[in-house]
Parts: sequence; C-alpha cells; structure tokens
Amino acid sequence: MSASDPTVIFEPLRFRALEVKNRVFRSSLAGRFNNYDGTGNQAHVNWDLKFARGGVGAIISSNAPVHPRGLIVPNYAHIDRDETVPFWREVVRRVHEHDCKYLVQLAFSGRQRDLGGIQFEKGWSSTDKPEPVHGLRCERMTVDQIHDLVGCFAQGARRAREAGADGVEVHGCNGYLITSFLSPAINTRKDEYGGSLENRARFALEIVRAIRAEVGADYHLQFKISAVDYGRDLIPWAAKGTMLDESIQVCRWLEEAGVDAFHISSGSSFPHPRNPAGGFPVKDVVRGYDTMISSGRHTFRNYLLFRFWPFNRVFKWAWERTAKGRVEGINLADCRAIKQAVSVPVLCTGGFQTASVVAAAIARGDCDGVTIARPLIANPNLVELWRAGHDVPPRPCTYSNKCLINQLENPLGCYDQSRFDSREAMIAEILSVYEPPQFT
Amino acid sequence: MSTTVVFEPLRLGNLTVKNRVLRSSVGGRFDNYDGSGTEVRINWDLKFARGGVGAIISSNAPIHERGHIVPGYAYLDSDDKIPFWRELGKRIHEHDCKYIVQLVYAGRERILPGLRYESALGATSDREPINGFPCRSMTVAEIGDVVSRFAQSSRRVREAGLDGIELAGANGMLFTQFLSPAINTRKDAYGGSLENRARFALEVVRAIRHEIGDDFCLGFKISVDEAPRELLPWLRRGSTVEDVVRVCRWLEEAGVDYLHVSAGTGFPHPRNPAGRFPAREVVKTYDTVLSSGTYTLRNYLIFRTWPFSAVFRWWWERPSRRLGIEGINLAGSRAVKEGVSIPVLCTGGFQTASKIAAAIERGDCDGVTIARPLVANPDLVRLFEQGHDAPPRPCTYCNKCVFNFIENPLGCYEEARFDTTEEMVEQILSVFAAPAYVATTEAAEVS
Repeated sequence: MSASDPTVIFEPLRFRALEVKNRVFRSSLAGRFNNYDGTGNQAHVNWDLKFARGGVGAIISSNAPVHPRGLIVPNYAHIDRDETVPFWREVVRRVHEHDCKYLVQLAFSGRQRDLGGIQFEKGWSSTDKPEPVHGLRCERMTVDQIHDLVGCFAQGARRAREAGADGVEVHGCNGYLITSFLSPAINTRKDEYGGSLENRARFALEIVRAIRAEVGADYHLQFKISAVDYGRDLIPWAAKGTMLDESIQVCRWLEEAGVDAFHISSGSSFPHPRNPAGGFPVKDVVRGYDTMISSGRHTFRNYLLFRFWPFNRVFKWAWERTAKGRVEGINLADCRAIKQAVSVPVLCTGGFQTASVVAAAIARGDCDGVTIARPLIANPNLVELWRAGHDVPPRPCTYSNKCLINQLENPLGCYDQSRFDSREAMIAEILSVYEPPQFT
Repeated sequence: MSTTVVFEPLRLGNLTVKNRVLRSSVGGRFDNYDGSGTEVRINWDLKFARGGVGAIISSNAPIHERGHIVPGYAYLDSDDKIPFWRELGKRIHEHDCKYIVQLVYAGRERILPGLRYESALGATSDREPINGFPCRSMTVAEIGDVVSRFAQSSRRVREAGLDGIELAGANGMLFTQFLSPAINTRKDAYGGSLENRARFALEVVRAIRHEIGDDFCLGFKISVDEAPRELLPWLRRGSTVEDVVRVCRWLEEAGVDYLHVSAGTGFPHPRNPAGRFPAREVVKTYDTVLSSGTYTLRNYLIFRTWPFSAVFRWWWERPSRRLGIEGINLAGSRAVKEGVSIPVLCTGGFQTASKIAAAIERGDCDGVTIARPLVANPDLVRLFEQGHDAPPRPCTYCNKCVFNFIENPLGCYEEARFDTTEEMVEQILSVFAAPAYVATTEAAEVS
C-alpha cells in the first residue's frame, strides 16, 4: 500500500472494548450551546449530529465537567450529577442513528477557567499559583479534595455508561487539572501528589483506576495527554515542563492501569501556540476576549495588548512563529514516540484535513487514527469529501483560529469569511446549529 | 390602610387581569443565540405565574434580529417561533395568569450587536450617547418595513394563544428614538413637530389593529419623564410631560388599550431602574460590552478606577436620592391618567402593598408592573395576600441583577438578602431546575 493511498482511513479501528468504523474521530469541541448550569440543550444535539452525519467514526464530546467547579466556561453540558444522564442519553441515541460512536470527555478545568461562573470564585489546581497568561486564580487542592474529585471522575464515567455512550475519554492535557499535576512546571506540591514523576502521575492513575473499578473492565476508556508541555513556546523564560520521556513513562503506567487508547495533544496551556496551531486573529480576539477581562489579574493588560498596535503585532508574531508552516500533523513526531512505547492504539490531533497526510501517518505507524476539531468545523462532511476522492476539501480550514475566540461570546462555527461566498452565507452556516429548534 | 384594591380585577381592553400586579418585562439571556426559545424561559416566567401576579409581560421579544438588545432572548420574528410561545402561554395559563408579549425594536440601544448586523437602524445616525453604540438613520422604506414587522409579530402573539401585546415604547428603544426631541433630529415626515415624531408609533399601532382587529389587548409603554440630561447634562432636552400626554391621547385614539408608564431615554437610566449603581458588579460584566461601542473602554476605565467610579456612582444615584425609588414614576403616571380614559399601569420599584393601594386609590394609576422586587421575591403577591405590607426580605434596589444579566443568569445577586452566598447562587440557578431532558420510564430501562 502506498503511503498516500487513503483506503486505510476507512478501515475500522479496533480497541479492546470498542470498534470504530474508520480512523477519524471528531475531537472534543463545542460552543456555549447549553444552559448556564450545565444542563443540556437541543443546540448541542444538533451540533454533534453535524459530524455524525458527515461520516466521522466517533465523536468525542465537548469537555463535560465532572464537577461544577471544573467548568472552563459556563454553558457546556456537564456530567456532574445524575440528572444530566437523560440529556446525554438523547445525544448518544441520536448520534448512534448515524452509525457513529460517542465518547464522553470527562473534564475538570483546574485553574484554566476562562469564565469561572457564579458558583465558585476560584478554580482548583495542584498549586495555588495563578494561571500565568490571564492570571486566573486558583486554590491548591487538599488531599481530601483530590480523593473526592477522583470519585467524581468515576461517577462521571458511570453516568456516561448509563447514558449509553460507547466510552469515555479522560481530559488529561492542555493545562487543565490533570496537566497541572503531571507538569513539573505547574505542580509545586511537596506531598505524595508532587515532586517525583510517580507522585505527579498519581492523580491521573488514581482516576483511571477509580473509573475502571466503577465501570468494569469491558468499557472503553481512553486518555488524552499532552506529549510535551512546550512551556517556552510563548514565554521564553518559563519552565519547560513535561518532556517526552516523562510522558512516555506516564503512558506506560496508564496502560497498566487500564487505559485502552491514548489521544495525543501538546502544550501546558489552552490555547497554546501549538494547539490549536495557526493564526492569532487579532480583530476577533479584541471582540471576543473582552468578556474575560474580569476573569484574571492580567486580562486587562492582555486586552490592551491585543487592542493596540504595535503590541498586538508583536504578540501575533510571537504566537504564530512556533507552528508556522507545520500546522497539519504538528504532534505526529511526539505521537510516534508514544505509540512505539505502548501497545494500545494511539490517536493524534492537530489540524488534519488532508487524506494523504492522514493515511501516511497511519501507514508510517505514527498513529492509529486522527482526531479533528477545526477542519471539521469548516467541513463537517470532511470524511465524505475524502471518500468522494478529494485529498483536501475544496474550501479547507485556514487555521485562522477565529472559531476558537468567537466561541466565548458567539455560537461556535467557522468565522473565516474568506471560506464563504458572502458574510451572509457564513452567518447562515453558523446559526444552522439551532436547526431544528426545541419547540416545533 | 386597606390593600384590597390590589386584588381587584383590572380590565385592559378585552383582557381581564385578576389583580393589579403585573410582572414587568424582565428576563435573562435564557434562550438560544438565534432567538429560538428554551425551556429556561418557561421556567423563569413560571416563577412569577406561581407567585400570584395577574399577568406577565414577557421579556422583550424582538420583531427582527437587527432589533434585539442582546442575543439570547426569544424572538417573535418569524412564524416558526410560534410553537415556543404557544407552549409558554399554555404553561402560564395553568396558573390563572395572563400573558402579554412585549414587542421590541431596540434601534441604537443595542448592548451586544450579535453577528449579522454591525450597526443598528435608528431614528437618526447619531451614536447612542453613553456607550457609543453605532447606528444608521432609517430610510422611510425601512420604517415601513419595521411597521409591518410589528404587525406580523402581533399576529403571531394572537396565533400563539397569548393574551395581549405591549409595545416597548419607553426606555430609549426605537419608539423613544422617534418620540423624543432629545434624539430625533429628522427633517422628514418622522421628525420635527410632535405629530411627526409620533407618526412612527401611531403607524405601528394602526398597522397592528389592522392586522389583528380591535378585540385584542394592545398596550404601549412610554417614558413620561424622558430626562435625557440626567446623566449627560449637555444633551438636548426631551419631551415635556404635556407633549407625552398628548401622544398618549393620540395612541388611545389609534386603538391602544392601556398605557404603561416608565422613564428615561436609554436603558439603563438613573431613573429606571432607579437605585444604586453597583460599580463592582458593573466592572465584572461590562467588559463583555467593550467591543460594542466607541465610548465603552472609557466607561470601563471610569467604572474600574477610583475615584472616577465613586463620582460616577454619586452622579448616577442623584435622581433616586432626590425623587425616591418606590413609585418614582407616579407623578408622570398621574399626568397620563388625567389625560386619557384608558387604564394606566405604572412601573418603578413597587413592593409595598399599602403604597400600591394608595397609588391606585389616589388615581395615580390603575395597576402596577414590577420587575426587580419580583426578581427578589417572585411570590410578592402571595406575601401581600398573607398580610405582609412589604416582604420580609425586600429588594434593596442594588441593581446587581440588572448588570449581571449580560454574563450571568438573571436572578437576585444581592448577597445581603440571603443567609449565605450558596443560598443566593442556588436561588439564581433554580431557573434551570426543570431541564428540557428528564428521565422517562422508557429511557430508564435502557441503562
């Protein structure tokens, strides 16, 4: 088979307790479509259905907080109480109608709470040092709180199973709570959850074991991890953080603890110049970031920086230089290193939208499948386009990252007007997520 | 004094309301961004229906996307929105409560523009003066379009089985922008003389009557004390009370069934909602508005920085100190009531049964509409029925609710009214308590 033959993309991917019809997963991704308290809405169902219809093999849900304190921004669907199960059951039922699997991403934001909401003033983290970019404040978790939260992850997994979901993904990357334990750049603890790699990995391993104990051995459980922190990509004087060799060791331990697959991302924060790699859309940032000003200590400074020339140009340059020219597949080398160290399948994320690139990565053994976020926002039918013979979609994702910043105040969708015939066409596409409405 | 008059029925045109207390238009960003409704809006309105008000005036329902104030409110701009409103009305009616839909076109009072229309359409091209929201003067054809959209939305209200329509003619919305000489500088048939400035409102009323007939309740909310210079003393003067009363008479002749008295040429305004300027809360949520106008960054710096914030607050609260809060619009209401023969409702901080009863008996108004005190005590009417003159934990007019709604669910944010912060948050989040997706027996068997 030649490296560019795309048929491998359409081959099933077998995990220990799950089979997915092809090698393309929608990565965790959604807008603020739900209610402020984490109860679900019709728009969320509509959103996920776009991708199920478009042919992906499985959908990884938007980050589903396992505790209300663990939200990133309000209006995402939680899985933090039993009352949320009927909503997830409905989502899963509708997605299954399209021969598509559904995995719930169990999440806890930690100190990266972009909009913390009204319930809890501060996030929880391994440390009490504020998140460095926005200055989001947090409390250092006590050991009791850690144990309680491990239980919350297990209960979240039980609810996902009760809702009929095909598996769960533990959100262990991108600077959220689990990263804040794994990363030596963030974790300043002196107890059994900090210091040595074993100690820093303890929280993640306890979560995996607790989920296994709760849902049994026959339920798909995957773990998303930042292979490398790349802590200096934006702030050159920052600590480096987790290096690849440490992540490899953590993955080996996680596999022993019962993880069925890994999902490779990168970076010790979100967003990060490598994830989602691509543009820093200054004008959209100025419009969307304002709502975060009250969230942190550095946010107003950042806002002024983003708003005024030449600071915004310098920032844009610094942000974009890391990933310039290598957005698609940016995590493949790190992913390959982890794949070689573990025996379970490994998924890779990072700007994939070219069939030959994806097929080559799988054929080379860099990964077993890919997960996609932004290019699927741009083309929810990406898999169908590939199947129809397109190597890249006729109107590919430009990695402008406008979707990302717009989701704070506006419905998630593709905001790169250059991809549409008119602004009107773009807006119609964005608002299509509300069709059909709940009341008809 | 006896408060029995508060519990006497009130007739508004063809509509009979069981008592004299209506919930005024108030609601948070509970719906979808595109203006389709959600279960949460129903939960919100049910709080007040259960609490005993005679009628609910809906949250502002835009007749067109371009006319919204902020996204996240249920629109009534197309026929496919009718099923939501029908369900809402059905659920409210179960509590022997009437439902009046407030139709709005914000014009330049657009706090968050949303996606589709970068600039608003208004009576003039002058920016909204406090935040600098951009605006373009409507052409005569565009005025005609908005007039007919009001009529079409009114038809939808009736088709949805609801009980009445109220036009959002006060508080700086598009009607105010035409009515007020402080704003309207048009040189055509819609500006200049009082007749011209009232033309738009009267055309809308006539178009609605033409569309839905004479037998359906239609009200008009109007700012009697426009007070445009209360905050910015260099603005032009507003309408005199005499002129507003004259407009009210014309509205009556054109077929309006009741008038609803408020104040101000913008929203919020020092007289409406009267009370405190909660600088700390404002700093937390005004940030979202920064990209909406040309003066917002300046304002944000004022709100954020002492002593500017303290001076602004002192300036903002001056009218409330001078005029009082509860019943602040009663003098204006009385002036209208003396000039017309249809019922007059008055808004403005009401929460004391004896004051409401006295206002009605004096002939200042025929009934009251309440927003903030009902956010604080949705069961206010029940408390009145039980003999409370004022609720045990009254609204403090802190206005924290008003400023939180931009980012957070609407509710009472006055911690002083609760034993704990948790109790307050629970009260706020209770609006989500009956979610759209609940367990059914069939679903329970699947697991």
